[in-house]
Formats: sequence, C-alpha cells, structure tokens
Amino acid sequence: MFHLKQVRAKALSAALAAALLTSCAAPPAEDEVTLSFFQFKPEAVKEFAGLIDEFEAANPGIRVLQNNVPDPDTAIRTLLVKNKTPDVLTLNGNASFGLLARACVFADLSQEPAARDVLPAVQDILNANGRCSGSEINGLPMANNASGVLYNPELFAKYGVSVPRTWDELIAAAETFKANGVAPFYMTLKDAWTTSPALVNLAAQLQPEGFFDRLTAAGADRNTSPVSFSRDYQEVADKLLQLFHYAQPGAAGVDYATGNKAFADGKSAMYLNGSFAVPAIRAANPDARIASFPYPVTNNPGNVTVVSGVDVVLAMGRDTPHRAEAQKFINFLMSKDVIDKYAKNQSAFAPIRSAAPQQDTALRGLASYFTSGKVDGYMDHRLPPSIPLVNITQQFVLDGDKSRYLNTLDNEWFKVAARMPNRGDQQ
Amino acid sequence: MTHSTKAFYWMAVPALLLFVVLHTIPVVTGMFFSLTDYAGYGKWNFVGLQNYVSLFKDDRVLASYGFTFLFAITATVIVNVLALGIAMLLNARIKFRTAFRGIFFIPNVLAVLIIGYVFNFIFSNSLPLLGQSLGLDWLSTSILANKDLAWLGIVAVSAWQSIAFSVILYLAGLQTIPAELYEAAGLDGASYWRQFSSITFPMIGAFFTINMVLALKGFLQAFDQIVALTNGGPGTSTESVAMVIFRGGFQGGEFGYQMANSVVYLLVIVAVSVIQLRTLQRKEADF
Amino acid sequence: MTTTTETASSARSVTPARGLRRRGRLSDRVNWPLTALAAVLALTVLIPLYLTVITALKTPDQLGGSGFEWPSRVRLENFSDAWNLTNFPRALLNSAIVTVGAVVLTILSNSLVAYAIARNLHKRFFKFLYYFFVAALFVPFPIIMLPATKETALLGLDNPVGLFLLYTVYGLSFNVFVYTAFIRSIPRELEEAATMDGASTWGIFRRIIFPLLTPMNATVGILTCLWAWNDFLLPLVILSDPATRTLPLAQYVFQSQFNTNYTVAFASYLMALAPLLLVYLFAQRWVISGVMRGSIK
Repeated sequence: MFHLKQVRAKALSAALAAALLTSCAAPPAEDEVTLSFFQFKPEAVKEFAGLIDEFEAANPGIRVLQNNVPDPDTAIRTLLVKNKTPDVLTLNGNASFGLLARACVFADLSQEPAARDVLPAVQDILNANGRCSGSEINGLPMANNASGVLYNPELFAKYGVSVPRTWDELIAAAETFKANGVAPFYMTLKDAWTTSPALVNLAAQLQPEGFFDRLTAAGADRNTSPVSFSRDYQEVADKLLQLFHYAQPGAAGVDYATGNKAFADGKSAMYLNGSFAVPAIRAANPDARIASFPYPVTNNPGNVTVVSGVDVVLAMGRDTPHRAEAQKFINFLMSKDVIDKYAKNQSAFAPIRSAAPQQDTALRGLASYFTSGKVDGYMDHRLPPSIPLVNITQQFVLDGDKSRYLNTLDNEWFKVAARMPNRGDQQ
Repeated sequence: MTHSTKAFYWMAVPALLLFVVLHTIPVVTGMFFSLTDYAGYGKWNFVGLQNYVSLFKDDRVLASYGFTFLFAITATVIVNVLALGIAMLLNARIKFRTAFRGIFFIPNVLAVLIIGYVFNFIFSNSLPLLGQSLGLDWLSTSILANKDLAWLGIVAVSAWQSIAFSVILYLAGLQTIPAELYEAAGLDGASYWRQFSSITFPMIGAFFTINMVLALKGFLQAFDQIVALTNGGPGTSTESVAMVIFRGGFQGGEFGYQMANSVVYLLVIVAVSVIQLRTLQRKEADF
Repeated sequence: MTTTTETASSARSVTPARGLRRRGRLSDRVNWPLTALAAVLALTVLIPLYLTVITALKTPDQLGGSGFEWPSRVRLENFSDAWNLTNFPRALLNSAIVTVGAVVLTILSNSLVAYAIARNLHKRFFKFLYYFFVAALFVPFPIIMLPATKETALLGLDNPVGLFLLYTVYGLSFNVFVYTAFIRSIPRELEEAATMDGASTWGIFRRIIFPLLTPMNATVGILTCLWAWNDFLLPLVILSDPATRTLPLAQYVFQSQFNTNYTVAFASYLMALAPLLLVYLFAQRWVISGVMRGSIK
C-alpha cells in the first residue's frame, strides 16, 4: 500500500502537471551530434547500417540513428505533423515526395558538391516532380530502379522460349509455359503494390501523349476533360487483366516475400517486378537464376521502353539544427564508392556520371535501355497520394471488372481534384 | 471555502486541466481544422464546409462507413450471443470450471495486433491447405484475399479476442441471480428455454446493455486487427473509418479533410450509442 | 451499468473466491455433456496458441504442411534471432515503463479525482466534472488522433512518459465512472468520525478511502495494464524515437522487414505475448474477479 505524507499527497495531484514540464526539459548534454536518419526501405536496413558504421568511424562526434518504419509515406507525414522533420531522409522519388518538396519541407541541396555529379536527366525528373522554388534541388537521387520482367533463364532454355520482344510473343511464351505445367508468372496479390510494376509499364507505353498533363489541366470537371481513364486506359486495363489471368492458383493470398522465394526457387518462369526485387530474390535463394527484359507492351519492338524512377532520394530537413553534419552525411552517401556499392548490392542503377556501369547479369536486359535513355517515368507518380491506386488495381485484377476499375480511377481523380485545388502543400 | 472543500478542488482541478489540455483541446482543434485545407504542416486556408460537402461525395469514405458498420454489428451480435452462451456454460454444473474460465479469458490478455499476425498465417497458410484436402473451394484460398469474405476473417479474429471480456461481464451478471428463482422454476417444470427467457435474460438485462454498447463502440473503432490481417484490402474492401482517417490524414496529407471525417464519425458514434442505450434500456424496463 | 448495489461492508468483504462459488446446489451432479462442450470450445482458444508455440520451435523447412504438425526438430535459435532482430530487451523495457507508469499513476490519481467527485456530486462544479469525464467515453480516438499527435509532440510528450500520461488522462473517463460508483457506496460515517479526530481530507483519502478502494484499484489496475501493454495505435502515432518502441510496435516493424521468416516471426510473437500471459497464468483468479467486479459496480 502507498503511504504518503499529507504534503506529498498534495504534490501527487500536481504530479501529473509536473510530468508535462519535466519531459519538456532536460535536453541531452552531449558534445556528440546525433542525426536522425529516416530510411524508408525495409530491405536496405542492413545496407545502411553498414554505411552508417563506416561514416561514424570516419566522423567521430557524429552519430546517425537509422529509423525504418513500415508504411514510410504515412510515417514521414506523421513526423511532419509533429514538426519533427528528420535531419536526413531517404524516400522514394514518388508523388508523395514531390508534394512534400513543394511544401518546402526539404532543404536546398543545389550547392552540395555531390549535386554536380548527378545525371541531369534523372535530376530533372525528380525536380519536375515538385520542388520548393524554381532554382532549388530538394532531393538528390542515390539510386534508380528499372521496372521490367524478371525471368528464369534456365526455364526459358529448357522449354526453348526466347526472350519476347512483342506482346504476342510474351503471351505465346506464357502459353508455352502453361502448357508445360510451369507457372508463367508468380503473382503476389496479397501485397497490393505488386500489381503496380505491370500497370506502370503498360500505361507508360499505351497511354496517349501528355495524358496526365491534359488530365491535370481539366481541373475538377470530369465531363469536359479531353482525356480520362475510362476512355484512354481501356487497352492498359485489358492487357493488365490478360497478364494476371496467368496467376498461379491461390495468388490472391500470396505476399511479395513468398513470391520472391518462389521465383528464386524456380517455381515460375517470369516475375512481373523490377530491379528492386533482385536483392530480395537473392536473399531468399542465393543461387537464384535471374535475368530480365523490358515489358514488350505492343507488337512494335521499337516502342519498348523501361520504366525507371528514383528509387532512393536523399533529402535534408529544411531547418535541421545539424546542417553541417547532415551535409557531410549526404555527401558521404552520394560519393562514388558508396553509390557504386549500393547499386551493386541492391541491384540498382547508379544515377551519377562517375558511376561504374551496372554489371549485374540479372539487370543486363534492362541496362542498355537505361543508359540509352529509352526510359519512361512512373505513371503513379503523377497521381496524388490520397488516391489508393494500388489497392484499386489489386481489386481490379481480382474481380476483373474493367468498367468499374476505370470509372473508380476517374472518380477518385476528379474527386481529389475538386477538394484540393488550393491545398496547403499543393502550392 | 472550507479547508476540506479546498482540498477537494486540489484533487480534481489538476486532472481537469490535464484532461482539457490532452483531450478537449485536441477535440476542439480537430473540429477547427475540419474547416481548413490543412495538411498537418505548412500553410493552410479556410475552406468553410467544403470538406464536409466533399465527404458525402467521397465513395471511399462512405464505403469505409459501410464496412465498419457491417463489421461492427456482425461482430457485436456474434460476440454477445457466443459470450452469453459460454457464460451460461461456465455457470452450469460442469467440471474444471475454474480452469475453463481461465482458458477462455486468455485471448483478452493478448495484443490484438499480434493475434492478427498469427491468424493471418492461419488464414493464408494453414486453412487453405485444410480446404484443399477437404475439397472445399471457398477455403482452399486465403479468405483474407477474397474481397467478399475477408471481412469475416476480421470478424472471426475480433470475436476470438474480445469474447472473453464479454463472457466475464455476463458471468458476473449471472452470479447476481438468486438460485431460488431457478429452484422455483424447476419445481414448476419450466423448460430450459423458458427459464432462460423469463429468468436469466431479464435478470442480466443491464449486463446485456453494457456489453452491447461497449462491444459496438469498440468494434466501430477497429484498427489493429485490420492492419495485421488485411491492411484494408483486398482493394479497399476492408478499410475501417479509423484506418481511412489515419491513412488519409497522414499519408494522403489531407489532415483537414480527415478531421471533417472524424467529426462526422464522432457524431455517428454518439448517435449510435444514445440510440442503443435508449432502446436497450426500454427493453430492460419491459421485462 | 449497475443494478446491484453493494454496501461498503459487503464491498469490504469481497474476496476473489466470492464470485466463484457456484450458484445454487440443486444437485452436485456434474453435467458431462456440457463439460465436453466447454472442452471443445476451449480448443478454439488453445489451438491458435498451440500453433504459435510449435511454429516458433520449427525450422523453416518444416512449414510445408498445414502447420499443425508437431516439430520434428526444434530450433531454439528462432528465439535468439528474434531477440536480436526486434531488439527485444529494449522493447520489453519500453512496454514495461509505459505499463507500470500508466498503472501506478492511474490508480493513484484517478481514485483521488473520483473521491473528490463522489463526495461533492451535489455541487455543480463536480457534477459537471463527472459528466464531462464520462461523456468523453463516447469520443472515438480517431478524432483526437491527428491533433493529439501534433500537440503531444509540441509539448515534448512524444515519448514513453507522455504515453503513460496519456493513458492516465484518457483513462479518467472510465475510471472516474467506476470509482465514483464504488466510493458512493462507502458510508460517510467513517470519514465524519475521522474528521472529528482532526484528520484532513487528504489524510482521510490516504488512510481510509484508498485502502477501502483496494478491490477497485485492482480492477482498474488490471484493465489499465491490459490496455497499455497491448495498445498499438496510440504508441504508433505518439512515439517518435525508434528507440522507444513498445512490443507491439516492434512486432509491426519486424513484420515489414522480415515477413517471410515465419519461424522467427512466431518466436518473436511468442516472446511479445509471453510476459503478460505468464503474469496472467499466475494471477488468473485475481484478474478475472477484478474484471468482474468492475462490471458489477
């Protein structure tokens, strides 16, 4: 039982209030600087932990605290709502990043030494996504990905299938595998986002020129818009569905991680994913046989492009109190050695001029497209993050209801356009 | 003011202040920001009632209310029927009663999120195998991946976890019933069902009311189990209101808009609770 | 909530065993069919737990079947792997800090507030206070989620201390409700006699009321403990520093980083569930009667 003196009892009732104050006070009195480092990629936690060790060893007095959370786009905004912008962050170079950059959450990195080495085309894509003001650079690309079809060369050789260069060849290849009792693709529909690599590639090559620009210009009025998903995404939806018809039984309950393992173990001939899946596949089975080719979406091989985006953007909190240390860390992460090493280990494409070429056999089929600039951006980066695109797409490939799918996309697009014309972070 | 009155104020006022700071002010600021286009950071503008207008046109939000109610009502009914049954079972002349009661309460001490992960594995891996060997089509793929059945998986896990609490409340209620009532009824030759409907149920009416209200209120706020089981999928078919607010408010950057959603949600919950209390209490009085 | 009114004398004599005594003794014959039914129902609780335990003990290659098979080879490294990967000791400590803090602070403060309210319900201010706290029971958490996240960070409370403070404050709604009902059943004569002897209001609370509240304190303590230990959403939005993650949060993060590693994942679930499960197994009678009492009052 608690025995309290009368005076202390009084203090107790005020203790609640006191707790408020005490927890505000007492900042850590250390001469060491700790950088908060928001790192969005769960599969790269170990990689960055190693890099941090290296950096800390070379820079005594700076500690870096890696923070990896599920659902990073939500987590980063939770931190922003709290006014706790991390000192340094990695994010995917998607629409959400663009919105945050436009809201002036990130510092200008245009004067950093590392910025000069970045491939201009890649930096342009990122800048076009959104930035605080005209001359700023709010994020530096650390690694690029490329979305393509991964395949198992052993199975291709065994059944005499050559790498498809047109849509018809792709379907023919799928039929051949199916006829031989081999799953053509391994689908992982439990994770909604894994429907997106196929979608973005189909969209990139099939949607009309300037689709999103025209859609954006149409404002909130669906009826007068010159373009719409219902009108212009018919073929995209058809072909998407056609691909997902080849899903193995029970695909709806299979998650990405299981899919990686299955593909690594040779349970399917192809895998609709991208460079970013390669390390995870190899982690599941170090002997996995992986090669790649770009999505042949039409029957004209000349149309083929690779969808590529900035997989890892480095950014710095605009008002970080540890500016010098954060800059040091960013320039370290952007150094040629680190980028080369990261690209090698994470099967990424290095977005800097001085980088070593990507030698990975798994990516050879995509690499030439990347270097020769036959590259498209991610269509989903043009959609506001409040539209749950991947979930809507997941629903579509499960129920196959095309008109509802496209109608939902239109509906979401114009709904959001109507309620965000002058939203805070849209300016 | 006397010494003792002063002491009473000293006891209550600090708590009131803290409550106002940590609960009331957030409610009020939330209501205020529902009238803005605030993203949670940065600049914001007044938009009047526009968020509320958009809300009623947003089928994703409306669907989340539909799902939440379907889920909450189903789960509440299932939980209460089963809990009452189990409570009566535990109150009957069975052996190992204490041990059984101990076992039935276990799920209630476990974290819903982690339970959700365990059941996720069962639904995705174990049950499909069972379904395949029994030749049951609907069971041979994960029911969590089926947009028509996924919500039932969530109901099952929620019920599994929360039945225990209701059982305990009903047991407490059953033990307030004097044994003489049953003895008299037994002498009159009343059937089990008759004893239940004219003695047991009326006598625990208050417990029934409180169980129904607490369960419905709890299920209307479902979040953890959905994160662990379906994360709102497949598609957006199992997004609860709480989940839409969390995701849209943070990830979507629509803080102001989701605050409008929250205000509507508050009104809905208050209305439901009041209606529920009224009708159930009237029922209680009827017995 | 209450149709039963208990007097203080019976309240004081409440023992855990009271609620357990079987109702009526028409006959002591055991009803075996019902016992069998109870056993079958108990399996629905035990089977998932069984599955958790055996999966945590297996090697990954034993996962092929339906999952219910007994492990042919036990791999205890699952636990050490999970221990390291989730930073288990740290998360356990955080959960313990939050839970112990919430329970202690809630019992000490909420009973005090309820005492002040229960003894002054005839005064407008306290009556208002009572309804003000209780009305908040109907305010769903999502409405305060976004603003409270912002505000606690602003106040520097986005840490375990802030978290247990929030549990204490948010708990007021329900706890004031149950404590007040209980305190009002305690006759005032005791306090009046103590006042005659010169005891202050604080002294009366400490020496007379608080000890009488012991069964209610147990109830409130248990419910607060279950809430704070198992909660996910509040720590998810409130805690900023990854080093302060509680056990459910650690599981959430673990899930996204190592989600194929089922055997290690289950070992980690089991370790996260174990502490409270063990406490429960030892204090089972006490926990259940505590919860029951909360409902009768």
